[in-house]
Amino acid sequence: MVIRRILLCAVLLLLAVVLEVTLLAPLPFPGATPPLVLVTVAALSFAFGPNTGAVCGFIGGLLLDTAPPAAGTLGITALLLTLVGYLLGRLGDPNDRPLFLSVGGTAAAGGLVVLGAAILGGLLGNPRIQWGDVPVMVITAALYAAFLAVLLVPLIQRLSRRLVPEAFAR
Amino acid sequence: MRDGRTNRIVLAILVLLSITLVIIDLRGSSSGPTAAIRSAGAAVLAPLERVSGSIFGPLLSLGDSLGSLGEKDQQIADLTAENARLRADLDLVANEKARVAELDSLLGLVGNNGYVTVPAQVIAVGPAQGFAWTVTIDAGTRDGVEPQMSVISGAGLVGRTISVTPTTATVLLIVDATSSVGARLAGTSQIGIVSGSGRQDALQMQLLDPLAVVDVGDIVVSFGSEADRPYAPGIPIGTVLEMRGTEGQLTRSALIQPYVDVSRLDIVGVVLRVDERAPREPLPMPTPTPTTDDSVLSPQTDDSVIPEESAAPDETAVP
Repeated sequence: MVIRRILLCAVLLLLAVVLEVTLLAPLPFPGATPPLVLVTVAALSFAFGPNTGAVCGFIGGLLLDTAPPAAGTLGITALLLTLVGYLLGRLGDPNDRPLFLSVGGTAAAGGLVVLGAAILGGLLGNPRIQWGDVPVMVITAALYAAFLAVLLVPLIQRLSRRLVPEAFAR
Repeated sequence: MRDGRTNRIVLAILVLLSITLVIIDLRGSSSGPTAAIRSAGAAVLAPLERVSGSIFGPLLSLGDSLGSLGEKDQQIADLTAENARLRADLDLVANEKARVAELDSLLGLVGNNGYVTVPAQVIAVGPAQGFAWTVTIDAGTRDGVEPQMSVISGAGLVGRTISVTPTTATVLLIVDATSSVGARLAGTSQIGIVSGSGRQDALQMQLLDPLAVVDVGDIVVSFGSEADRPYAPGIPIGTVLEMRGTEGQLTRSALIQPYVDVSRLDIVGVVLRVDERAPREPLPMPTPTPTTDDSVLSPQTDDSVIPEESAAPDETAVP
């Protein structure tokens, strides 16, 4: 049933957004905040393909853009995560994707999203961007994304197979 | 390849939708459809954040105090030294205080630290890669919190509320690059604007008087806004770290070390209102506004009022 897939994605994305702003962001991680939402989008996209990935990226990004205390421009994270969800869903063979490819792809996406958000923000006149900090943010975001992907991609893959088996029938 | 085509159509629709949102939001984020989306998102997520914050908040504070165990010895030594120094200062101040008390009773003033606050806990923080220094606290319109209210902690000014939901409020911290606060050097009549630098350990203060005499270590307090919104008067902000620009230059700026460590916020207070003090009837002044800034704004006020002003930040520091 499609409804089970939607429920699984919605619950995981909500959980990721809430945990990212209430648990990960207050912790004193050096550099960027671990991009839990991005990794969740990546994992769902690996599990269900580019179509669901793009929709999950859009919803996850929109949630992150509106979750208090978000103060940036609405839609930027949604745009970037939509692209991440789509592109990662097309990465490699969906039925036989080695872990290093998923982790590498997620890490690259983690770094590029931070860079993309900074560049878009800069172009749109966001006065907050600290360009001196951007390289550190990009590198740390990629590292944290890789670490989270090692844990979450196999976990969400297994969860999806258990709860939505018909998506893997073909 | 029908599957691939639907994928691309979905992608194109979502990308266009995102870009549309960005454009609408840039045109006016405080009203219109994006404001509705924002409040809808906040309405869904705020209760979840409250639950999650109440679970992780105590854990995070515990981790914080465990992490700073090593600093405690140094801190005790520093505090002992400071205590000795302050006690010596207190003897000197005692005489001054008697004079201030006398002046106070003369002017018919009541204490000006009558901030009416509602306590709140920080439950969520914006991701660092967004470069926005904002936090969410667990007090909202149900507790009387409205947008544009001062937020303070035991150490000093934290920021101001920018948006509220029934149960939460978002606080723009003073170190955010878009924040600016009207401020005054305590004990002098120098005023200026303190703006955030986007970094947690420094603020910039633009002084309005190019000939201002500023010493390193001078205390900066909030000037106060009309009707105490968004900033109530007399809240300590920080101390002067260094001066930039030479005397006489058109604009001079000072680097300010904020009192509040925004990376370790836990319990804060939202200033709902400042209790008004008795009007200064005996003085022939043209309808004075009931804030602490009178002595600065009105040139005809006697200079001897100023010690009262400089005493203010030490007392108001207690929320």
